Amino acid sequence: MALFRRGKQSGRERRAMKDHLIELDQLRRKQLSELGAITVEMADAGRFDRERLSAQAREVVGIEREADLIARGLEEGLTLEELEELSHGDDEPATDTGNQ
Amino acid sequence: MRKGALKKKRRQLEELHLDRREALGELVLGMYVQGTWDDEIMSRGAAEVREVAMELESLSSPEAPGPELQAKGESAEFEMPPTGEHTAEHDMPETAEHTGAQDLPDVGPETGEHTGEQPAAAAVADEAEADPRQEKPGDDAESPAGKASGSDREQEPAADEQTAKAETATKPEGTPTGPKPVTGGEGEQLPFKAGAGTRPAQAAAQQEKVSELDRMAERIAKTEQEAKTASDAARAAVAADARTELSAITREIESDRSKLDAALKEAAARIEDAEKRAAAAEAKLARESAANREAAADWVRSQAAEIEADAAIAAEIAADSGQERTGADDEGRPQLEARIRALETALEAEKASKAEALTVAESRLKAIEESAREAEKRVEEAEAAVSEAGTAPVSVGAAPGVVTEAEAREAAVNWLRGQIGALRQEIAKGPAQQPGEES
Repeated sequence: MALFRRGKQSGRERRAMKDHLIELDQLRRKQLSELGAITVEMADAGRFDRERLSAQAREVVGIEREADLIARGLEEGLTLEELEELSHGDDEPATDTGNQ
Repeated sequence: MRKGALKKKRRQLEELHLDRREALGELVLGMYVQGTWDDEIMSRGAAEVREVAMELESLSSPEAPGPELQAKGESAEFEMPPTGEHTAEHDMPETAEHTGAQDLPDVGPETGEHTGEQPAAAAVADEAEADPRQEKPGDDAESPAGKASGSDREQEPAADEQTAKAETATKPEGTPTGPKPVTGGEGEQLPFKAGAGTRPAQAAAQQEKVSELDRMAERIAKTEQEAKTASDAARAAVAADARTELSAITREIESDRSKLDAALKEAAARIEDAEKRAAAAEAKLARESAANREAAADWVRSQAAEIEADAAIAAEIAADSGQERTGADDEGRPQLEARIRALETALEAEKASKAEALTVAESRLKAIEESAREAEKRVEEAEAAVSEAGTAPVSVGAAPGVVTEAEAREAAVNWLRGQIGALRQEIAKGPAQQPGEES
């Protein structure tokens, strides 16, 4: 479903989106690794700080969401302005961040 | 273990460690997304990561003191010597065939008692390697093998102790521990060797064989442990992947649902808008048609009044002409004719005004028809807008009213046409009657 068919995506925008997608993937892996390391630290300490874990996980979710948006932009041929417009339409999901 | 293999192993372990950390991160992410936290699973995942980290540390730690040990000659049994002292003793095959029988040529020439017991194949196979020693049995210090065995001989007690410690420390449960299966025949030879003075070299060789077996057992145990670790990691990764995939699918479904809701809301708003526009168009059409009907009725009434007035005038003229005809003979004929001409002129003027009124009526009729067409067009547009918005019920509901209005308008126009036709006939009758009246 192409809601935004106003403009045409340029080759430069497409390249930039692809590069950004690769960066986001690397960043996601890094953040996941950090999340795992934090979890190991907490397991060593014998206490899981869910707030901290949630904060780290939220960052990963944000990265994933941005990656999804960029992937959608690449798939539907959206311009950067349209992507920005689309990103303002999304809202944050409510999740449990209760502490132990 | 060789340095290359060690590096490869370390690299693999590092990759495994990173993968496990990511898998644990995915696991925690899945818990965050689902909002269900399970400390036990997190602890288990952390333990798996820690296990790989410890293995990595244990692999890295012996590397540092390695060169020092080699310099002291203590690690000669575990690592290849860095110098040219790499002798045949270090290249022993890892099979069970490599037993004390291969050392027999060392002592064979000295005693001659064991030459017959020596297996021929082993003797031939070992001949090439053991030749230097056979040629100079007492010159151990000069030959490369002699150097190694000499150094072993000097540090034999310490090496024995270290090997025993290493065996007890690193040997996994259930692995072969002693040199018994391999060196079964050596027991018989030991007293003989000791008597011949070659005990240190054979002990070193035996020790090396034992350590070779230990290394093999250790390698097997390590491989098993790696396989177990890898399978655990794969299991954890699969579980984490499944959870992540599930959460991703859930997110996708939610986003699709929100998009669908938004599209439905938009469609409902457009339908409502189209309905409003259709209702407004209907109301406007009704107002315009009522105004047009009223105007047409007024005009027709005025025309009828004018026609009646004309008829009254014509009747009056006819009566006057009759009266004049009865007593006209007395008055002057020229006066009568002048009056007739004046009346004819007035009649002509009246006809002209009526023709003008007729033209005006026709133009008015055209305007009414035009406005009717426009109104029909608007109705059609409204119907099209409603059908575009996908409101079949609305268009179906609006059609009957619209058709009724159009029919009423058509009837009004037809009635007007009839009125105009009657007017034309009336006007046409005027001149036709006049000559008759005059005659």
